[in-house]
Amino acid sequence: MLVRKVKERLFLAGITILTFLTILPLFHIIFSVAVEGLPVILRGGWDFIIGTLAPPDDGLGGIGPAIVGTFVLTFLASLLGLPIAILTGIYAAEYPNSMLGKATRTLLMIMMEFPTILVGLFVMQILVVPMGSYSALAGALALAIVMMPYVAVYTEEALRGVPEKYREGAFALGLTRFNVVFRVLIGLARKGILTGVLIGIAKVAGETAPLLFTAGGATRTYFNGIDRPVGAIPLLIYDLVQQPYENYHEIAWGASLLLLIIFLAIFLPLRLSLKEVKL
Amino acid sequence: MNAIETKDLHIYYGRNHVIKGVNLEIPEKTVFAIMGPSGCGKSTLLRSFNRLLELNENARIEGDVRLFGRSVFEMDPIEVRREVGMVFQHPNPFPHMSIFDNVALGLKLNRLVKSKDELKKTVKWALEKSALWDEVKDKLNEPASALSGGQMQRLCIARAIALKPKVLLMDEPTANLDPVSARKIEELIFELKKDLTIVIVTHSPAQAARVSDYVAFLYLGRLIEVGKTEEIFENPKEELTEKYLTGRMG
Repeated sequence: MLVRKVKERLFLAGITILTFLTILPLFHIIFSVAVEGLPVILRGGWDFIIGTLAPPDDGLGGIGPAIVGTFVLTFLASLLGLPIAILTGIYAAEYPNSMLGKATRTLLMIMMEFPTILVGLFVMQILVVPMGSYSALAGALALAIVMMPYVAVYTEEALRGVPEKYREGAFALGLTRFNVVFRVLIGLARKGILTGVLIGIAKVAGETAPLLFTAGGATRTYFNGIDRPVGAIPLLIYDLVQQPYENYHEIAWGASLLLLIIFLAIFLPLRLSLKEVKL
Repeated sequence: MNAIETKDLHIYYGRNHVIKGVNLEIPEKTVFAIMGPSGCGKSTLLRSFNRLLELNENARIEGDVRLFGRSVFEMDPIEVRREVGMVFQHPNPFPHMSIFDNVALGLKLNRLVKSKDELKKTVKWALEKSALWDEVKDKLNEPASALSGGQMQRLCIARAIALKPKVLLMDEPTANLDPVSARKIEELIFELKKDLTIVIVTHSPAQAARVSDYVAFLYLGRLIEVGKTEEIFENPKEELTEKYLTGRMG
């Protein structure tokens, strides 16, 4: 009897410690980014948000071009990726037993786990090399490819989660398949689809690897055309940390905190408020 | 004129032979009940009438179903479903739409109305016909999910009859309702049969006796007996039917 109780206690303690170890890095990251980044942002003030990068060893300046670049890239990536991804999700949900439908689902799962640096290489091959320059368009395309599987899989699962009785009810009204999907099922699955869209956006807003060989980066000029190189916050952090200047490291901390805030601003309300539509 | 006729109808789900050579004639503007124990194929048979069965990829149909003399398999399934409305066992109004939109959706998407005015009038007509208007006239823009189960089912009836179908299929429409709501639906059936043909599936012989003019008894996919309701209930010719009606089976 006693042995059993001791075993149970030990098991519980073990699990608690392991769980703690798993989430520890998350809190450590948030904590250290806040502690290191907040003074930088406070010292830089408004200029840190809208200014351009300072020279080496000479103050902070700002990361305006990277912030704008992140928003531009995310917006363009959504424009390119969301419509195709949502349609792909619809296809996989509507034709689950067709050859193409089955293949689509498997491929989406692979795409989700695909090394994103390879996506960057691919886009470099098909866009950057022919155009002869890094560009916002190339960066956005790479991000769109990273975003698509998340959105497609969430769309598919949201649609498949809609009870059969609503689909039957819609068909029984003499609606075409197009109307059944676009006028009834999408509305019922809208929260799940929206969750996927926001997760996709949050994901690519923080991506670095796909941008390395595509967006190019720009720290002193603002976005000036989709065929021109553009900055992004993660890319800027990656660049700054590798430089031997103290002030650049500080700027990197400030930029990290801003990136974290942007990410959490998309992600937290989403996780807290979005529940599946009550059926 | 028969609203619906089936000719040697066989239905298979994969290797399962669920409907075995059914021949039925359902006269126009009557209430026709299909009764039988659970799992005897009633719903399957009903779903073949509006070609809803074909949404299931495993289903295979042999034989013919005729709608006013025309084979439904030669018609566009969308056209069939506009003429043959359906009400389901689980009330299924679209929960994210308003009460008004639930009824208006089919009218709008099938382009059955020409103006907003006509749309409003038709929605009102359908809600009145389904005895729901007085209860919802002040909250047409509220979501359908706020209604009670019985009200939802009447909303589904309104949604179906708004398209002015010639036939209305009802798949155990009161199975999930309380007795009071169920009685309202049954009263509605009497009203509606003035204008259209109703085919109702039920596992309750009592309900079949109350609402129908004709009744068919289905058992394990076979049609055992069919005829005028009073004749079948008073004087069943088959032993199986008698057993079923006296509660010694299913």
